Amino acid sequence: MTKEQVKGSAEEEQQAAQSKKALKKQQKEAEKAAKKAEKQAKLAADQQTTEEDDFAQDRYGVYALMQSQEKPDRSLVRVCELTPDRAEQTVWVRARVHTSRAKGKQCFLVLRQQQWNVQALVAVGEKASKQMVKFCANITKESIVDVEAVVQKVEQKIESCSQQDVELHIQKLFVVSQAEPRLPLQLDDAVRPEVEGDEEGRATVNQDTRLDNRVIDLRTTTSQAIFRLQSGVCQLFRDTLTKKGFVEIQTPKIISAASEGGANVFTVSYFKTSAYLAQSPQLYKQMCICADFDKVFCVGPVFRAEDSNTHRHLTEFVGLDIEMAFNYHYHEVIDSITDTMVQIFKGLRDNFQTEIQTVCKQYPSEPFKFLEPTLRLEFTEAVGVLEAVALLRSAGVEMGDEEDLSTPNEKLLGRLVKEKYDTDFYVLDKYPLAVRPFYTMPDPQNPKYSNSYDMFMRGEEILSGAQRVHDAQLLTERALHHSIDLEKIKAYIDSFRYGAPPHAGGGIGLERVTMLYLGLHNVRQTSMFPRDPKRLTP
Amino acid sequence: MPMYKNGEVDPALKALEVRQDEIMRKLYELKAAVDGLAKTVTTPDADMDVSTLSQTTTASSFTGTADLDALLGKDPGALRDIVINANPASPPLSLLVLHGLLCQSYRVLSSVHTHSSISSVPPQLLTCLGPRHAESYSRQQFQLGFTLIWKDVPKVQMKYSTQSMCPIEGEANVARFLFRLLGLEPKDPIVATQLDSWVDTAFFQLAEGGSKERAAVLRSLNSALGRSAWLLGHEPSLADIVCACCILREGQALSTPANVQRWLQACRNLEHFHCIAPLLL
Repeated sequence: MTKEQVKGSAEEEQQAAQSKKALKKQQKEAEKAAKKAEKQAKLAADQQTTEEDDFAQDRYGVYALMQSQEKPDRSLVRVCELTPDRAEQTVWVRARVHTSRAKGKQCFLVLRQQQWNVQALVAVGEKASKQMVKFCANITKESIVDVEAVVQKVEQKIESCSQQDVELHIQKLFVVSQAEPRLPLQLDDAVRPEVEGDEEGRATVNQDTRLDNRVIDLRTTTSQAIFRLQSGVCQLFRDTLTKKGFVEIQTPKIISAASEGGANVFTVSYFKTSAYLAQSPQLYKQMCICADFDKVFCVGPVFRAEDSNTHRHLTEFVGLDIEMAFNYHYHEVIDSITDTMVQIFKGLRDNFQTEIQTVCKQYPSEPFKFLEPTLRLEFTEAVGVLEAVALLRSAGVEMGDEEDLSTPNEKLLGRLVKEKYDTDFYVLDKYPLAVRPFYTMPDPQNPKYSNSYDMFMRGEEILSGAQRVHDAQLLTERALHHSIDLEKIKAYIDSFRYGAPPHAGGGIGLERVTMLYLGLHNVRQTSMFPRDPKRLTP
Repeated sequence: MPMYKNGEVDPALKALEVRQDEIMRKLYELKAAVDGLAKTVTTPDADMDVSTLSQTTTASSFTGTADLDALLGKDPGALRDIVINANPASPPLSLLVLHGLLCQSYRVLSSVHTHSSISSVPPQLLTCLGPRHAESYSRQQFQLGFTLIWKDVPKVQMKYSTQSMCPIEGEANVARFLFRLLGLEPKDPIVATQLDSWVDTAFFQLAEGGSKERAAVLRSLNSALGRSAWLLGHEPSLADIVCACCILREGQALSTPANVQRWLQACRNLEHFHCIAPLLL
């Protein structure tokens, strides 16, 4: 039409420019009006058809709020069970709408249930009307729907879904819960590997946005896999220790005195006085040993008031704690703990391969390697190796006899151990006495060292443990040496006065174990609702 | 027929005599050359004329103790730990025998581990380095660490000082390294080369070769063992360890020639061979 106009204006060259413009305007307005009229007519016609011939109006819609009005005899099939075995069957499925894409008379939906998803299709035909397809296309993302559909085999695998061999041909669809149209973050953005996102210039979601909208972030396949695996760690920990004859105990988290000096404990007001949140169930585990429980473990929250904002520190985390009486040598306890860890690693390797692969897709890492029995090195040996390396590289690793390993040195040592032994998990034994808490048993051969040990995964510490002093007198001496107020720990020291067996133990951080097993870089990824100095919500 | 006439020698006769001597000398030379050729054929890598080698070997007995500082460099302040990665599908028998020898010379902290790349290992492989040392709780008290890791590796691999040494691959090369730690390798370069040659023969022809190759090696072993009790003379050496281990591993000890049979039995009677007996079922 513009062309015509141009043509027209070319013919009537003598006409003034002004009238040309006016004509143009007029013509345009006329066009607009015509279009509007056409649209309205169409809409009216549509409405008419909706009212008149929507034969499928019983087959879709929004359910009334479920208040448990009825209990229909209907079994919902899980998405992971939709396999070619069920081809041609009519099934009911409840799932979320992951994406919907309308294309003329068809609408494709991806229905998601936890980490599984399946493609579903509504097409205008015998079972579905035009209006139904339109309704399906307009369902907001993340809404929960009930669908009745026929399972159909597909010729070409659907690469984007977990159920690749079938699709659902929808016959009925009802919305159970509608999501708001605007999501604070897109699930697809949240699972995109970082490198790929950079390459394509596509969006990724930063950690704070994820954590602010944790509920949505937890729906991603990666989060689902991480927390399933974490549950597996707990389960394997419990199973292994129970099989070894351990007893699970529950200890109070509100305590009257800080166990290792008050610097990093939270103070809470407790009626007219104040109390502390437990840094570890240490004292209670040991008291249970003195009370003849022999082998105990405890899974529960642990609090650290350290104001450190690092990738591996949280202010509240789940501690897996072990304490065990031994016969003659504390290595009996090391062997028991390392064997438990190896059983956990083996269990994860054998039973959680899908979850590991899912996480690997977003955060690629090498599979976790370990030795059975676990490798044990001694502290002085590690220092010797680090110094030998420093000598070779003429880099300045210089350590005093009674100095602790710094974090970079821990990582370097981890790399060296991996290079030689090809293991991501090992024990470092015989730490200097000076760097350990007062209840650590000194080494009988060399009083500068102690019967204490750390365990490392991928070069980062996950467990700190030791043989404890079970002699009240030595314990008093050690406490005085650390200038601890004896009055405050009187109850603790007293528990060793009436016969206490030699014992040792250690505590592991569940989040750290999960993080390091999967090769993730931030402990917040493995904490469902992380707590750190800057985050108290959600 | 009068050969001598009044003490005078007939010039014609003398000429004949010289010719005969010449022929005999040539024959001896020819025989030596053929012998040499035969040896070269049956022992690869020995491209020298073996017939001229001195047959008196100087291999000493297995009882010397060498200075580890001299062999492995200055004390690193840490346990000298030798890590050996081996596949449980083909246990490195010769290295286990050498481990036994190392234990006679040094305080060795031996440990066996299973790497996560392997799901299960037969129990006899987990105890193949003998019972745990009574003082294994203190690593500082040992001169040498021997850490055997059952792992999914295509070739036996040794790691010692990862900062200055690349990993050493192949059972033969690891065996040479361990044997040298005993300080028993022959000082005579010819014998040392013969030893190396036997080690190659064992791993390339006995362990990996076809049946014809194996038969040829067994023949040359048989003839070598006809001349002396052990492959390099009067004392057992690395050559005997690796050859015997390769034959024993193939489980064909029964179909071997007489000298080899006798020698295999002698090997098995050596104390440090006992550790591999449970693995030969």
